[in-house]
Amino acid sequence: MKREHSHRETSAVKTGSSSMTANKEEAGGFDELLVVLGYKVRSSDMADVANKLEQLEMVLDDGISHLSDDTVHYNPSDLSGWVDTLLSDLNPTCDQVKPDQDSEYELSAIPGSAAYPRGKRTRTGSDSPTTTRSMVVLDSQETGVRLVHALLACAEAVQQNNLKLADVLVKHVGLLASSQAGAMRKVATYFAEGLARRIYRIYPRDDVGLSSFSDTLQIHFYESCPYLKFAHFTANQAILEAFATAEKVHVIDLGLNQGLQWPALIQALALRPGGPPDFRLTGIGSSLTGQSVQEVGWKLGQLANVVGVNFEFKSIVLNSLSDLKPEMLEIRTGSESVAVNSVFELHRLLAHPGSIDNILLTIKSIKPDIITVVEQEANHNGAVFLDRFTESLHYYSSLFDSLEGPPSQDRVMSELYLGRQILNLVACEGEDRVERHETLVQWRNRFSMGGFKPVNIGSYAYKQASMLLALYAGADGYKVEENEGCLLLGWQTRPLIATSAWRFNRVE
Amino acid sequence: MAGSDQVNLIESKTVVPLNTWVLISNFKLAYNLLRRPDGTFNRHLAEFLDRKVPANANPVNGVFSFDVIMDRQTNLLSRVYRPAYAGDPPSFTDLQKPVDGEVAPVIVFFHGGSFVHSSANSAIYDTLCRRLVGLCGSVVVSVNYRRAPENRYPCAYDDGWTALNWVNSRSWLKSKKDSKVHIFLAGDSSGGNIAHNVAVRAVESGIDVLGNILLNPMFGGTERTESETRLDGKYFVTVRDRDWYWRAFLPEGEDREHPACSPFGPRSTSLEGLSFPKSLVVVAGLDLIQDWQLKYADGLKKAGQEVKLLYLEQATIGFYLLPNNNHFHTVMEEIAAFVNAECQ
Repeated sequence: MKREHSHRETSAVKTGSSSMTANKEEAGGFDELLVVLGYKVRSSDMADVANKLEQLEMVLDDGISHLSDDTVHYNPSDLSGWVDTLLSDLNPTCDQVKPDQDSEYELSAIPGSAAYPRGKRTRTGSDSPTTTRSMVVLDSQETGVRLVHALLACAEAVQQNNLKLADVLVKHVGLLASSQAGAMRKVATYFAEGLARRIYRIYPRDDVGLSSFSDTLQIHFYESCPYLKFAHFTANQAILEAFATAEKVHVIDLGLNQGLQWPALIQALALRPGGPPDFRLTGIGSSLTGQSVQEVGWKLGQLANVVGVNFEFKSIVLNSLSDLKPEMLEIRTGSESVAVNSVFELHRLLAHPGSIDNILLTIKSIKPDIITVVEQEANHNGAVFLDRFTESLHYYSSLFDSLEGPPSQDRVMSELYLGRQILNLVACEGEDRVERHETLVQWRNRFSMGGFKPVNIGSYAYKQASMLLALYAGADGYKVEENEGCLLLGWQTRPLIATSAWRFNRVE
Repeated sequence: MAGSDQVNLIESKTVVPLNTWVLISNFKLAYNLLRRPDGTFNRHLAEFLDRKVPANANPVNGVFSFDVIMDRQTNLLSRVYRPAYAGDPPSFTDLQKPVDGEVAPVIVFFHGGSFVHSSANSAIYDTLCRRLVGLCGSVVVSVNYRRAPENRYPCAYDDGWTALNWVNSRSWLKSKKDSKVHIFLAGDSSGGNIAHNVAVRAVESGIDVLGNILLNPMFGGTERTESETRLDGKYFVTVRDRDWYWRAFLPEGEDREHPACSPFGPRSTSLEGLSFPKSLVVVAGLDLIQDWQLKYADGLKKAGQEVKLLYLEQATIGFYLLPNNNHFHTVMEEIAAFVNAECQ
């Protein structure tokens, strides 16, 4: 971790005489002061944005709240784009299908044009100079702090390869954990087990998908908390928008698993105004999966049949996503709209050098209309073990805290599901360590540099996702956040998963 | 009245830098979209539009932050800001390291938003709190109090009270000199109103509040004052929107004579003889509610309480959000002096 020089903000106390200091510009041309406040406005656009704001104020008075109900907003950080949306909303030039605001929890098609940001190329790499370490203190008890302290001390000993000390400390952790209650105890237990396995070299097998047990765990995780549902929902929303007017659509799911994401999409397509498109699903599975990919496809086909959607399914079984070749997908260029969907799959490829580049190349070559990506919002792939350990300890503490509540089988299984991720993260190395989560900022960089263009997820999806969360007990703690066109779901103020959408179908 | 509106827009543009004008006009427009005539509020869209930033335990410009849960029942979160330690960034166990120094002021901050908008993790307030840390060298605790119209009076005050107690009981916030937490209350707009009311509650309780810092505090009353009439709609704010926010915050059926709105009005209780903290009250000369704010400062004086009034003639609302004007620097210096006076 970089050392920070601690210095007082020298610009805070100025004694200049001019009342309006010149606006400093940063390399990307954005007004520096507004960037800090979350708005990206080019200094050269400032006057134009001001004019548009004036225009809007002149035609609107206080009674404009009806506009908020009808308009779908995108990426509020792009102020220029936002005011343009409002202006065009006052002056509709094309047939805009408005979402049916009364149909709660339903995915409905919205024309995608507003979702695509303006043509201007925005500079990438203008991230904050330091990395963010998001921290929520959930348990202010004395014992909780001591427990974390012991875990970190043990991890540090492991980092320094002082295994004798680590051995002593991990036993100490075990003792402390047993006197702790709630989420902290469970988290500590898993992290301690991970450390122990690392110390004694009893590595957990990568048996994800080796048996139907893994499938079972995921289903329980799906049922007990909103994370997977949020992932599916937001990704489906983006896909629906991209498919708004398509007659034939093709979804490629990079990790089909139980196919839990697709019933909702199939139903939404069935209800599309103007009738459903022909729906083709290509499900990719690992050669180790429990339930066969084909079976999942078959069940989805039955559902599609019931709701009246023409359905076609193809299964592809691979050892690694890196082995995916474009010709395997049999894209019907020119006659179908293509979506590529990845929920918690891509990070695994970071365990093998070159793999992520292979899959991105493959994706690019089929020129999808939309690519939906959901990943854990954390950097668990740093080079230094101790950093990874610390990051993930805080991440899973928040996650486990969100699961707390009356005991249930779903919850116990969910904790086990997450526990296996912890073990992999802490105990494994090299190609075996597959839980290599990276942050939205990191994924954004990777996609931007790969030539992909962002597709903004808007306020309609945000609102529906928020309402979906209200169904869960402890809903107060879950928060949906919009971040430059992407949606994040978090617990308390800690974002935990991020959904982003991209495209690569036009020559710019 | 398109003609005079045009004049209004041009006027407001001449008194603030362009990027400030764009920022505040953007808020004004967004807020207009969110308030419904029937008194309800489009909370989903509000949260979607609000620009938020995460806490960051890695120091940035000498300040790091982390979030704490003060009360699980009400889900009361706050963001704690601290000056960076020398050496490595703090680990989890260091976050609550005891404060340095014989006297270590702690500022409990209540963000503005007319009781309805913004959060402790809104970018504008995260930025402001970070500046306060840099300025005063103190810990700042920004309270994410419950907002109207979903949570009316007295929820925000209750949360402020909970926060004050929490801060007061943290061993790691105690000053070495007397083993007590040296607390200042601060806030802008509705936050200033909350600071006042929490200070009132503190008076009888044995919790010492060393000072109140009120930035453009939100007060009102039933009559229309001269400043409200003169400045209505001219500098981003209208009397109509002020009325809407009071209706959203005050208990249903109440009017603006309610003491929460009008602390020196006909229904208020006297502060005379009470050991109320000294106050720094900042009033912007282009804020239409200034008559109420001046009345507040006056009321404190008449009750024999110590108050310093800082009147900034050419300042509009939100001047303290961007460091691109003189008022900003003036106020920051005053706040630093106010807080550090305690350290002598």
